[in-house]
Amino acid sequence: MLDVKDLKKDYADEGEVTSALRGVSFTINKGDFVSIIGPSGSGKSTLLQILSFLDRPTGGSYTFLGKSIDDMSDAELAHVRNKDMGFVFQAFNLLSRLTVYENIEIPLIYSTVPPAARKKMIEQAVESVGIGEKLYVEAGKLSGGQKQRVAIARALVNDPNVIFADEPTGNLDSKSGAQVMDILDGLNRRGHTVILVTHETYTAEFADRIIAIRDGMIESDAPVKTRRSSKDQFFK
Amino acid sequence: MRTVDLIRSSRATLKHGKMRSLLTMLGIVIGISSVIILMSIGQSAQDYILNQVQGLGSNLIIVIPGGSNNGRLSSPAQAQGIIVTSLKQQDADALARDPSVAAVTEEVRGQADAVFADNDVTVTFDGVPANFFTVRNFGVAEGYPFTDEDVQAFNHVAVIGSELADTLFGAGSDPVGQFIRVQNISFRVVGVLEKKGTGAFGIDQDNLVLVPITVGQKQMLGTDYFNDIMVQANDSYTIDFTKARVEQILEQDHGITDPNKDDFTIETQQDVLALLGNITNVLTLFLTAIASISLIVGGIGIMNIMLVSVIERTREIGLRKAVGATDGDILQQFLIESVMITFIGGVIGIALGAMVVAAAYFVIAKVLAVAWTFAFPLSAVITAVAVSSLTGMVFGIYPARQAARKSPIEALRYE
Repeated sequence: MLDVKDLKKDYADEGEVTSALRGVSFTINKGDFVSIIGPSGSGKSTLLQILSFLDRPTGGSYTFLGKSIDDMSDAELAHVRNKDMGFVFQAFNLLSRLTVYENIEIPLIYSTVPPAARKKMIEQAVESVGIGEKLYVEAGKLSGGQKQRVAIARALVNDPNVIFADEPTGNLDSKSGAQVMDILDGLNRRGHTVILVTHETYTAEFADRIIAIRDGMIESDAPVKTRRSSKDQFFK
Repeated sequence: MRTVDLIRSSRATLKHGKMRSLLTMLGIVIGISSVIILMSIGQSAQDYILNQVQGLGSNLIIVIPGGSNNGRLSSPAQAQGIIVTSLKQQDADALARDPSVAAVTEEVRGQADAVFADNDVTVTFDGVPANFFTVRNFGVAEGYPFTDEDVQAFNHVAVIGSELADTLFGAGSDPVGQFIRVQNISFRVVGVLEKKGTGAFGIDQDNLVLVPITVGQKQMLGTDYFNDIMVQANDSYTIDFTKARVEQILEQDHGITDPNKDDFTIETQQDVLALLGNITNVLTLFLTAIASISLIVGGIGIMNIMLVSVIERTREIGLRKAVGATDGDILQQFLIESVMITFIGGVIGIALGAMVVAAAYFVIAKVLAVAWTFAFPLSAVITAVAVSSLTGMVFGIYPARQAARKSPIEALRYE
């Protein structure tokens, strides 16, 4: 589904070039749950931004669902982000003045889904993350864990092929973190591809494969021997 | 992005910051209401002035002594206070003989004290022939107008304005049959004019004393010329022909061969109407242009607030782009927000303007009893809505472009 070959990303700042990615190659198949881990400044977030079409590489190739990023306009990238990708951010990125319903509706606004068909989709998404009773509550009034669940519902609502989660438990207590990871785990088990960026090894082990990045290069790319679940000790 | 989503989203944003939205649209409200008020009152003033000119009578041609200068209404000599004596009785007689002329009424004018008992007031008196009342639409409310016999016989009779009647005799009293002294000549009041207001040439017709022209010209002023001659054409479509005839007759009588050296000026009512219409139009446009400056100020206010809003909502822009919004979607959203602010401001401005115009009408027409018409031109409303929306678009485009150009990554990282 995702095919990355010799991917590079350089940033130029006042004539000085910094390489965030120095030739990264891997493939992710449909239904995979992959964690990308690495220390701060390793390039993992840059990689996620390119994989999620929020940025373009400066070298190498990236093919998503058989189409190269180089062949797509910015508007086409936006269309793919809307249709095939879901995003879960560390900072939730909910609009606090809007209700849960309105927040989850945002991706649908930019899609071809007519307003009449949205309600059912939003209700399904919100039920799948277990906050159906909060549908008309302002997002600003929710707890951190609830906010992240709303963010996951927003990522799910368009039924995307892949969900990108950037440090989704970073702002949560361990209990809420466990619930969020449980949801992502469940989504993957129901067939969604999940790509998780984290610096926590324990969280990364929810995936069935871990790609470790250091200094813009892949340090290791290996399957997880025993995939973790929220029932494990750490999250209790 | 669907239009309905755009409007819903913008409405939610404006509703969230109600106070800010209201304060932002205040400039537009003031600007639009000013434009509406000036356009409406300008229209009313124009109607009023034109009605006054039309109230002079119908199918009138005005002959004023002194040559014209590039078609100006007042001759330069008169404008400078020089007495021009070029219009005399033989002119009026010659004009009256022409078949294209229905009636001729001449006028002499002076100022004097009008006295009744202990009441003494300075008035304008007009010496006029008996047909003046019909030709010039001067209705008599009480009594009757003086007759040709009164004029021929130098009878000391007068028809006075309604306000002057109240001033001299007291409100509600009957002045008909009473005697007043004007320039120490005793006149019997035979009639009181209908209320008419200030005339087209600034003469307060409600404080006028009308006396037979023979008395006014010979006994009170001691002159042999007229202040003006009004010629009534047979019909409205013959006015231009009659005007040409009047010019020919007077040039012939005065021995003038070069039209540029005419010692009189001829204006038709249509000329006066067109001139006054132009003046009021220019004045209204000028005032409206001044009022429009407040719209520009309001627009700059909107741009300022929208720029602040773009900065405040940077993360929102990042999120929207991440989940599929294109640059065009973001541009449209911010543009619709600014247009919505100005549109709502425009509607409130129109309502406020309408209220002020209605209040002005009430005060002028009902309290001050001036023949003022209520004008609220549809063109002003359409212009106001269009201009306010355009203001939103013009001043909203820059902030909207700033928002649309934001990189989603940088926007999401924004603290």
